[in-house]
Amino acid sequence: MIDSQQASAALNDINDVVQRVRQSRIYQNASLIIIMWGALVFVGYIANHTWPPQGYTIWAVVDLIGIAGSIAIAAFSGVGPGAGAFAIRLLMAFLLFIAFGIFCSVVLGHYGPRQMLVFWPLFTMLFYALAGLWFGYAFIVIALCSSALIVTAYFYAGPALLLWMAVVHGGALVLGGLWMRRI
Amino acid sequence: MAELDEIIHQPLRLRIMAALNALPVSAGLEFARLKKLTGATDGNLGAHIETLARAGYVAVDKAFVGKKPQTTVTATAAGRGAFARHVATLQEIIAGKQQ
Repeated sequence: MIDSQQASAALNDINDVVQRVRQSRIYQNASLIIIMWGALVFVGYIANHTWPPQGYTIWAVVDLIGIAGSIAIAAFSGVGPGAGAFAIRLLMAFLLFIAFGIFCSVVLGHYGPRQMLVFWPLFTMLFYALAGLWFGYAFIVIALCSSALIVTAYFYAGPALLLWMAVVHGGALVLGGLWMRRI
Repeated sequence: MAELDEIIHQPLRLRIMAALNALPVSAGLEFARLKKLTGATDGNLGAHIETLARAGYVAVDKAFVGKKPQTTVTATAAGRGAFARHVATLQEIIAGKQQ
């Protein structure tokens, strides 16, 4: 038989592993969503570069597919009991996030096309960074790296901004998601 | 008086069972991920999984994903029950109900 100190150490060990498993499952599910968004925004930037007048329609379609895909992944990726409630909270978070973004960029800011192109990705990365404070440092790393590349693009990419964004924003999300699956 | 489960009590086997028990029922962990989560090495993880499988506490499923072999380990109902009893015993010891 063991004493209470050894029993306490064993329970701490169990809690440590349980925390790791929870973290790992969050990363596994979130990485799918991040990779999906990376691929979607890559296609969105290329499409926007190819058909500039259709920009708003292209991004509305990209956002709708992305939101529906994120909710589907959250609901069906085996997060267990409460998956439905989590998916509803995720939808509400998206709606609040988009409403606030539109209010800032259109009502308050009157941003031009170039500012809009970097505002939304940067605003999204803020969301990732905040999520990282609760769900793990990988979200913060992805947010900071992507934001740095996006700001660099804004100042230095010139007329190639859409193509640069396709590579640095879409690429950073795909690579970040793949990295998240390995940690 | 409840007894500690000697099979689960070994530190690495305890970590393996804790990891598998944290998943939804019937969900499993792939060998490489289980190794990372428990901090084990290839050799000792394999040996301890075998011990747990012999006791009926885990099920081991070997399959090919593409050309790569993939081993998935899942806690059985018996394993989950044994783990729950083991944790309850540890809590009793801490509460001073057992010496």
